[in-house]
Amino acid sequence: MPMIEMRDVCKWYGPTFQVLKSCTTAVDKGEVVVVCGPSGSGKSTLIKCVNGLEPFQSGAITVDGIEVAAKGTDLPKLRARIGMVFQHFELFPHLKIIDNLCLGQTKVLGRSRAEAMAKATALLHRVGLDEHADKFPGQLSGGQQQRVAIARALAMDPVAMLFDEPTSALDPEMITEVLDVMVALAHDGMTMMVVTHEMGFARKVADRVIFMDKGEIIEDRPTDEFFGKPRSDRAQLFLSKILSH
Amino acid sequence: MNYHWNWGIFLEPSPEGIGTYFDMLMMGLRWTLVTAVLAWIIAVSLGSAVGVLRTLPSRLGVGLGDAYVEFFRNIPLLVQLFLWYFVLPELLPKDLGNWLKTLPNASFWTGAVGVGLFMSARIAEQVKAGIQSLPRGQSMAATALGLTTAQTYIYVLLPMTLRIILPPLTSETLNTLKNTSVALTIGLAELTARTRAMQEYSFQVFEAFTAATVIYLVINALITVVLRRFEKAIAIPGYVAGT
Repeated sequence: MPMIEMRDVCKWYGPTFQVLKSCTTAVDKGEVVVVCGPSGSGKSTLIKCVNGLEPFQSGAITVDGIEVAAKGTDLPKLRARIGMVFQHFELFPHLKIIDNLCLGQTKVLGRSRAEAMAKATALLHRVGLDEHADKFPGQLSGGQQQRVAIARALAMDPVAMLFDEPTSALDPEMITEVLDVMVALAHDGMTMMVVTHEMGFARKVADRVIFMDKGEIIEDRPTDEFFGKPRSDRAQLFLSKILSH
Repeated sequence: MNYHWNWGIFLEPSPEGIGTYFDMLMMGLRWTLVTAVLAWIIAVSLGSAVGVLRTLPSRLGVGLGDAYVEFFRNIPLLVQLFLWYFVLPELLPKDLGNWLKTLPNASFWTGAVGVGLFMSARIAEQVKAGIQSLPRGQSMAATALGLTTAQTYIYVLLPMTLRIILPPLTSETLNTLKNTSVALTIGLAELTARTRAMQEYSFQVFEAFTAATVIYLVINALITVVLRRFEKAIAIPGYVAGT
């Protein structure tokens, strides 16, 4: 059974503007799927539907067998099991790094402070930021903040991770350190859905690539095929634009 | 100007037979302070609640919050105090109205609640603006972690909001204290009322109002210093507003 499954997801802003048009796809357990496409194509909106941050009007999304938009679904509980990383990191500026990692663990999962601290410390070590535990987010570089954000999501022991353009707000020299963490995560078998323009990352670790344009999933195929010859004109145009340098 | 200065007036007994003129002003100051403290507590707690209400994804909540703010913000404080003190008891059922009228220290309770409600509308406005000034991603990130709406406000949004609105909140705290002087019109014997009484008994108008001016200045300066300290104490290392 797929970890994330979407069937005919449609979303409108207002009565006329359709941002998602019958999007259907699935992400299997342990699979890494990259979502790309021009800006405004609906890719960020699509992954925000997965954990219910964005409501949608028709279709269905299930995560680990639980229907996201069903009436009886305990959304906070479901969200706690889906990690999410944002373009602008969104660390909580008033909390120390270690407390950013503990908040969800203690308040949502009900872990003891000691348990949460142990988990947080181990994860900070994993993303290479041990010595920054007692600093505040504003004292870290963008790349470091994004690694903390990944660790914060991992602290909840998620069944899947969503990345919404995790490197788009970073200076070029910091992109690698974040991608390295994501690559390691992919190799560890994490189920990942990643909105990104980093085609190098897609080539390296993605099992499949989804190409979106104007709210539609145009292509959804294995990575090698996507980067190989046969593909839609729109995807070709997009790739030629972002791979030309 | 033919004015007889007498700075020694403060040490002379007041005609009320309860100590000197200085004591009289100090008793006024005490009423000013307790009224201001109660009004401030009402203003901050109700103001925060209404401010939060106006940012919730609920049309009804936002509508109620907006109506509250418009009501208390658009009617002059003086008129509001008159409404609560003179009009409200007449509109209530007879027993309740009589109970209100005979309440001990009625002008204090009315003054504190009246000033508190008036100020709460202004604080609600600032709390709302403060919350809305936070990046939208903050509440998204909290929600994505599995925090409920209440937890998102308590642990993520409000701690930052407090830091952002502390400077204007300091001004509103000073306004709360100063606005208690309006309660003299409903008979509260606070500092300004006692100052006027002193002037009427002694005819030393300049001395009386100099004293009141200095007292207000000193108290407000103290409040400012304390809140500035608090502001510094909760400042976040490395945090630059707007990033």
